Amino acid sequence: MVRLRTEPVAIVAAGVVTPLGDVDAFWSGLVTGTDAISRIERFPVDDLRVGLGGEIKKLKRERRGGCRASQLLFAAADDLLARAHLDAAPRRVGVVLGTALGGVEEGERALAGDPSARRTAAALYDGPAHALARRLGCRGPALTVSTACASGATSLGVAADLLRADAADLVVAGGYDILCRFVMRGFDALRSLTRDRVRPFDRRRSGLLLGEGAALVLMARDRDARRRIGRLLGHASAGDGTHVAAPDPEGRGLASAIRIALAEAEVGPEDVDFVSAHGTATPLNDRIETAVLKRVLGARAGLIPMNSIKGALGHTMGAAATLEAIMCLLASREGVVPHTAGLEERDPECDLDYVTTAPRAARPRVSLSTSLGFGGCNAALVLEGDAR
Amino acid sequence: MTGSEVAAVGVVTGWGRSAVALPPDAVRAAAGRRVIAVEPPRAAGERFRRATRECQLGVAAVEALLREASLGPEAIRGDETALVYVTAAAYGSSNRAFIRAIASSTLHFPYTAPSAVPAEVAIEFGLTGPYVILIGGAAATIDGLWQATLLLRRGQCRRALVLAVETFAECEDLWARGRWLVRPPLVESAACALVVPGPWRATYAPAPAPSPLEALARARAGETLACAPLIALALARAAGDAGPVTLTGEWRGRRAGLAWEAH
Repeated sequence: MVRLRTEPVAIVAAGVVTPLGDVDAFWSGLVTGTDAISRIERFPVDDLRVGLGGEIKKLKRERRGGCRASQLLFAAADDLLARAHLDAAPRRVGVVLGTALGGVEEGERALAGDPSARRTAAALYDGPAHALARRLGCRGPALTVSTACASGATSLGVAADLLRADAADLVVAGGYDILCRFVMRGFDALRSLTRDRVRPFDRRRSGLLLGEGAALVLMARDRDARRRIGRLLGHASAGDGTHVAAPDPEGRGLASAIRIALAEAEVGPEDVDFVSAHGTATPLNDRIETAVLKRVLGARAGLIPMNSIKGALGHTMGAAATLEAIMCLLASREGVVPHTAGLEERDPECDLDYVTTAPRAARPRVSLSTSLGFGGCNAALVLEGDAR
Repeated sequence: MTGSEVAAVGVVTGWGRSAVALPPDAVRAAAGRRVIAVEPPRAAGERFRRATRECQLGVAAVEALLREASLGPEAIRGDETALVYVTAAAYGSSNRAFIRAIASSTLHFPYTAPSAVPAEVAIEFGLTGPYVILIGGAAATIDGLWQATLLLRRGQCRRALVLAVETFAECEDLWARGRWLVRPPLVESAACALVVPGPWRATYAPAPAPSPLEALARARAGETLACAPLIALALARAAGDAGPVTLTGEWRGRRAGLAWEAH
């Protein structure tokens, strides 16, 4: 197949809400090794095997009305709008959000007997994206992507497509998900949650912990952007077609997504300076991801600094890939790569250069970020940082 | 070639197993019923013992597509076929089952994710190409068809399946509360379009008004949410119109349009 090069898209600014805080606190927490995992307090967890997670204890400003997912998005939007303006006609500003769970907590409440029609509508997984679009006055396309835990990567790719197709002049894109009974119960039943700390790529790793958050970036066509924190050079997604919940043992979908994203970005393995791995700390994921990176990047794989930030934040599901993309761009700007919190004893099967113990001085220009999710979803982003 | 066209559409609805089965007037045919349910044929095999009705419907829609196109499954197997899946709400019943602990087993939780339907379809037909999942009603399906044309134009695939599934029966009481979002009859549906390289240029833009095909699909099928644009395509093809076509779809006040036109 003949592949067409795609135009890079500018990432103008970022805004987040995480268990560590806004963008500044997120970054400083990552480089100082802050552990954002705590006992969950917002809903009962006593009946679960594991009651820990990356919970946001308090939002700076709680709005009346709106579900928790929307509240997180509004908080991330406040952070974003403190750093950039939506200076385009409202009908030319789009919103593209990724989520694994949408408004499922509202669904729980509706099914528990809350008769509110508003509650029912908010239970649809695209409810929070429309709530954010209304809040921001964006009247362009409002899309919701749900490629499970790869959603926050796919959403940036779809947002870039809207800009390239001139369907919008600006797009607020990203991902979000909340901690709630529904998801805690599900992962608890699957026994995916660890009672230890999250240890990506560690020999003793025994599972993930969930986190919550919202991460947004403002995207524009590169030629239109007056300033930027970086550029999205390439994106791809691919399916495994092997299992509803587990990754393909050979990682074929992930390998395909990485190859296509690199081709779209017109960069080769030799150009990649940093890899932000999905790194959930499940025994299977980290081994498969390592093997795929070695296969696709070849000899270069062992020379590239790599990390996973899930040891610090937990797995923030739909927000994770956008948070990781923002981390890549901040690493370029600040000249520091955060370390992989929780990694202490290397697994012989995970033998790449995961930055351990302490942050490392490095200023990656081109970063690769990988994501996987339920349903055989895989996505890869190739990002270029805008060094100071 | 950077253009595209729709090569075939498979449709399964509460009215029957093709576009031809749609009644002339869905409201009249519903005779006051709020939901027109569909029971998909159970796909054979141990693998499907836990699959939800939505998953079965997704598989049935792709099988209907293959019949319509006179293709075998090997024609779509592999990494050169993209899968774009769209639904507004075909995760509601599995979420409800999980919340109410009807299906609280470990193995049911992954089926609460919207990605379970395309996952089962991808496993069944061996689809390992580009993979996009959009949430929303008819406007999201227009977005999905546009995504398919982009993937083709960029050379990321040789063909794309755009699949939509909607179920209502298990959450009928909730839908009754959301009357401003949907107009009965709510017709359970699954539809799949095969988009391939072709002579037409696809133009994606907001649409100020419903296209004649949107109105026709609404009148004949009823409320099918994300399936509506694909049913509209099937109706156009059933009427012998396989050339340039203009589709629109509306959801939550946004109407998107996709026009396949001559270059």
